[in-house]
Amino acid sequence: MRISRRGSIIFFVTFGACLVALAVALNVGWILLNWREVTLLILGLIFFPPIIVGLILNTIFLVREIRQSERHQGFINAVTHELKTPIASIRLYLETLKTREVSDSQRREFYDIMLADSDRLLQTVEQVLRAGVTGDRRRPLHRSTMDLGKTVGECVDLARTRFHLSADAIRFRESFNGVDRPVIEGDPDELRAAVSNLLDNAVKYSDKEVAVEVEVETPDPRWATVIVRDHGIGIPSKEIKHIFKRFYRAPRRVLMRVKGTGLGLFIVRSVVEKHGGRVFASSAGEGEGSTFTIQLPRAAAQ
Amino acid sequence: MSTLLIVEDEKHLADGLRFNLEAEGYKVDLTADGETALDLLKAEPRRYDAVVLDVMLPGKDGFEVVSELRRDGQFLPVLMLTARGRSEDVLRGFEAGADDYLPKPFELEILLARLRGLLRRHSWAQGRREALGVNPQTTPPVGGQSTTPSERHGEDIFSFDGKTIDFGALELHTAGQTIRLTLMETELLRYLIRHEGKVVSRKAMLEDIWGLREDTDTRAIDNFIARLRKYIEEEPSKPRRLLTVRGVGYQFRNMK
Repeated sequence: MRISRRGSIIFFVTFGACLVALAVALNVGWILLNWREVTLLILGLIFFPPIIVGLILNTIFLVREIRQSERHQGFINAVTHELKTPIASIRLYLETLKTREVSDSQRREFYDIMLADSDRLLQTVEQVLRAGVTGDRRRPLHRSTMDLGKTVGECVDLARTRFHLSADAIRFRESFNGVDRPVIEGDPDELRAAVSNLLDNAVKYSDKEVAVEVEVETPDPRWATVIVRDHGIGIPSKEIKHIFKRFYRAPRRVLMRVKGTGLGLFIVRSVVEKHGGRVFASSAGEGEGSTFTIQLPRAAAQ
Repeated sequence: MSTLLIVEDEKHLADGLRFNLEAEGYKVDLTADGETALDLLKAEPRRYDAVVLDVMLPGKDGFEVVSELRRDGQFLPVLMLTARGRSEDVLRGFEAGADDYLPKPFELEILLARLRGLLRRHSWAQGRREALGVNPQTTPPVGGQSTTPSERHGEDIFSFDGKTIDFGALELHTAGQTIRLTLMETELLRYLIRHEGKVVSRKAMLEDIWGLREDTDTRAIDNFIARLRKYIEEEPSKPRRLLTVRGVGYQFRNMK
């Protein structure tokens, strides 16, 4: 299945390139043959370039569509896995409780496992739904005046509880440089989702020991920034430009251990851009950790 | 008591499976990735009686694990579990050499029944081979020396062209060669031979042998046929026994 699809991509790209080459050759031939005949020469000069440009655009479009559909297929597989695995687990434990003699302590342990699995399920569902909502540009934000520092602090607390981490594992710092608190006009729900996604990633992609630093800063009167820094597996430079794309998951073997849908960073980017801000990632390379920075316009600046 | 190896990286599922299988009286070992599973299976080939194998594993995935296992000449039963329930994935699993397959989420009772079935069939085949004096673990999959089956009769034996298929022992004996077949290769051969002379459609084969009812890419079955032809045809590219009937399916012919 996959081999034949890859084969068809190569075929169409080669086909497109051959057509372009043919059109260029024809064009050159036309000019050489007709350079004395002004009318024919002008006709050729007018009609050949659009054909060549059209062919090139068509080939580029085709390749992009194929890439997109491959990412989409990967997303379907990942979501299938993320939805079915917790259901399989919950079902297995329910059947176990129903059919077997289970001690009290084990029963409690099974309940905890099922709760954790239903949380995981809910998280996947919410992620997919949110990607649908924030991905829709026409949908308006429910803006209110909010303190970005407080919101990020809440997200950090939530992440600590959820991953059972100490305050040392995720350190939170605010530095306002004498400037006022980072008050912005934003949609608290959406921004909370964006920051939580960054924190989830930082914890998920930490290698063994989790050491995440979160900073909220106001470097100047116009911008408020949130920086999330981890010391995890890092991002190779050639992947950095792709990671905010919808459904993108880096094709690295280390990542097979970490499950995800490929929606997290897409949501982060959509939310931030809707707020008129920017988000970018940097990493010194594989194994060197990564840093994600969100910049949002402050309320006073608007 | 049978010993099972569970290869599953989702900890909750793995622990739940272990709990239930131990309650059924099996000895169970757990591992979370394909490489470790292969190391364990290669280090002590006779330790395990069956493997429960997840597909989406970190490192080597389930398909790679089972095909490497078969290449290594290990024929212990493998039951695959996967969230990818599409028929192409199922067939890919069988193609890699799995014996049975269950999509997640599965029913506990069905999982246990399938496992019992695999273990039973495997121990029959093993008992049969041991009765023949062939050590199951030292017989290479292809090209090993073998005692040509002596005068044995019964419905589980089928002979043609100087080849003998022993359905019970999952073996194909040819002049001077014994080829080990997987459960599914044997089932497919048995099915084709039972319908000798008739044309059977790919769809019918998928439904009757694998129990697949959804819309399936029926071409996936062609890989199996290609492999069987390598075993039973003199010239696999010009088949005389296992014929393709264009647009319909396949036919087994046994004539002089």
